[in-house]
Amino acid sequence: MKPLISIKSGGPASWAIRIACALAVGYILLWIPTRGSNSLIDTATTALTLMGAALSLNLLLGFTGQISLGHSAFFGIGTYTTAIFVTRWGWSPLKTLPVAFVVAFVVGAVVSLPALRIKGVYLALVTLALGVVFPQFIKWPKIAWLTGGARGLNDTGFKFDKNNRTYEIFGWNPWGNLRGENVKPFYFWIGIGIVAIIYLICRGLVKSRVGRSLIAIRDNSTAAAVMGVNLAVTKGIVFGLSAAMCALPGCLTAMKGSVVTPDTALLTVVGSITFLIVMVVGGAGSLWGPIIGAVVFELITEKTSDWVDPDKIPSLIRPIFSWSDTAPAGGIFALALVVLMFVAPLGLVGLWKQTIARVVSVVPRPAGSGTLDAPESSAGGIPTWRPQQEPPAGDEAE
Amino acid sequence: MELFLQRLVDGLSEGSVYALIALGLVIIYRGTGHLNFAQGEMALFSTYVVYQFGEWGIPIGIAVVLGMAVGFTLGAATEVAIVRPISKKSPFAVFIVTIGLFQLLNWFDGAIWGGQQLPNSGVGSKQVRFPSLFPNAPTDFVTIFGANIKVQSLGVIGLVAVLTVALFAIFNHTRLGLAMRAVAANGDSANLVGIRTGRVLMASWGLAAAIGALGGVVFAGINTNVNLGLMFTVFIYASAAATLGGFDSPGGAVIGGFSIGIIQNMAAGYAPKWIGQEMKVGVAFLVMLGVLLVRPSGLFGTSRVERV
Repeated sequence: MKPLISIKSGGPASWAIRIACALAVGYILLWIPTRGSNSLIDTATTALTLMGAALSLNLLLGFTGQISLGHSAFFGIGTYTTAIFVTRWGWSPLKTLPVAFVVAFVVGAVVSLPALRIKGVYLALVTLALGVVFPQFIKWPKIAWLTGGARGLNDTGFKFDKNNRTYEIFGWNPWGNLRGENVKPFYFWIGIGIVAIIYLICRGLVKSRVGRSLIAIRDNSTAAAVMGVNLAVTKGIVFGLSAAMCALPGCLTAMKGSVVTPDTALLTVVGSITFLIVMVVGGAGSLWGPIIGAVVFELITEKTSDWVDPDKIPSLIRPIFSWSDTAPAGGIFALALVVLMFVAPLGLVGLWKQTIARVVSVVPRPAGSGTLDAPESSAGGIPTWRPQQEPPAGDEAE
Repeated sequence: MELFLQRLVDGLSEGSVYALIALGLVIIYRGTGHLNFAQGEMALFSTYVVYQFGEWGIPIGIAVVLGMAVGFTLGAATEVAIVRPISKKSPFAVFIVTIGLFQLLNWFDGAIWGGQQLPNSGVGSKQVRFPSLFPNAPTDFVTIFGANIKVQSLGVIGLVAVLTVALFAIFNHTRLGLAMRAVAANGDSANLVGIRTGRVLMASWGLAAAIGALGGVVFAGINTNVNLGLMFTVFIYASAAATLGGFDSPGGAVIGGFSIGIIQNMAAGYAPKWIGQEMKVGVAFLVMLGVLLVRPSGLFGTSRVERV
């Protein structure tokens, strides 16, 4: 079927769409903290947390093909770095971000050393065990003097000064007033900052020479090595970087909650699985996938959180969910994971690209003109992951 | 000496649970080359079903057989309906699907039986504790060399030993076992000589889930209750056991399971300050990591040769 519309990449129509999208996103980002309700800002901040974690997992799993179920541990390293520095040594929470980044990078790089020898599902097993060990490690009596053991740490967030000024822009107040009664927008903006940093790092990596070598490792690591990719160094750095980035949203969790315990859901294996779900539902191996995934995940989780009470369920779908003793979000996403693997292995973003490609065709810029900036759509740019393709012959040979 | 014997038997009885789950992992891995992350949760579902049978007044001896039948059906249906079609796509898709099943089954258990531990008088359970296959009253112990050994522990170890022997008889002396070994050795060739590969794989998944169901019931019996998180750490121990024994060796899985059980119990018992209850799982993690680094094929597995 011939697409109805064709757009030239880099032409005026393409720029108009880009600017319109940027404006829409910008408007939403300003609207949430200024006009949105407190619970909406909370939801958005949680979504940003998941976004950051899923983006960093995506760099490792989606682009490099290294399965990790231990990202909750790296997330937890961020949370605990912030919590420990704030409570034990009185640091300002924002200053702990670089510390957490470095600590998690080192831990991630060390973990990646065995990962160089361990492949595929075995790596998944080892990292899963890492995710299970982490909360236990925090509870370990030997280091309880630092981590607070099973009871956790209190007052890990900002201490707001009553005299802080508010900053208003044309009557809008995007920062919150920092007086303790309305600090939610402040966390929202920290979340935005963290996600922006992670997104830019991922984008910079993926669209560069490094990104191409990552994708080469994912698709055929032997061939990549033959072509001159240094497997050990590349895998180690990406593992470390992914861990380091995953720690940042972890820090945000410590900043906005006042209590941190080892049983916080995202710090256990539940967190690892949540990040994986967010990434796969949104679209593995695409930059926007985890972002879309986190928004969808958080919206559905929030909407269905009170469905334990059958009266709260919209009457149309009440018979489907009313028997359940728990909120249905967990089941919905588990089912979505299974179904998506059948119908759209590239997640919602992949589905969207497929659909849009039927209507709009994007004509890529002729080679050699202008910059190497890749076009936005499926026509080119980021090579997308195609899980349908056969594994390279001989990979599983006995 | 008494303490040592007690810890040994405790380790063996917990290890037998890991051995059962690990056996399930190995049977599936041999057949299809997939690692079933939902193995523990399939077992948990069957364990909840056995609890429910207990609530309906069915004695545990019959309930456990019914539970294993439910497990078999669940495993076989999963293979036919989900895993087989998806395994044509990519190994990654299978991994994601088993993670999805893990989450789905856990959520499903919670949706039906709630998040609290069962049996629970608060939700009107008739049973006081999870039914045990063997007598487990406080007075049910035997004294060996001065150590008080629970009858339940001995029963569990004996049960697993018998089951292992039975499984080896099936693998080595029946047509199904022969077919399973053929499929494990080379699926395509097995298909060409007329073995119905599909049925064999279905049976493998069913068998794995049924063995897992037994493991779940035994563990819930030791634990005296069943809850949603029961199988999380058991799965880690079991995968450490399978890694230690070698992922394609059923005998290795059993030995690995017992070893992991003993190692972690001894470590926790003799170094209570350093390891204790908290870092037990850390020991399993280190064993798994060490085996994969030094000898990735495990103690009894065949090493894989990769062709480019």
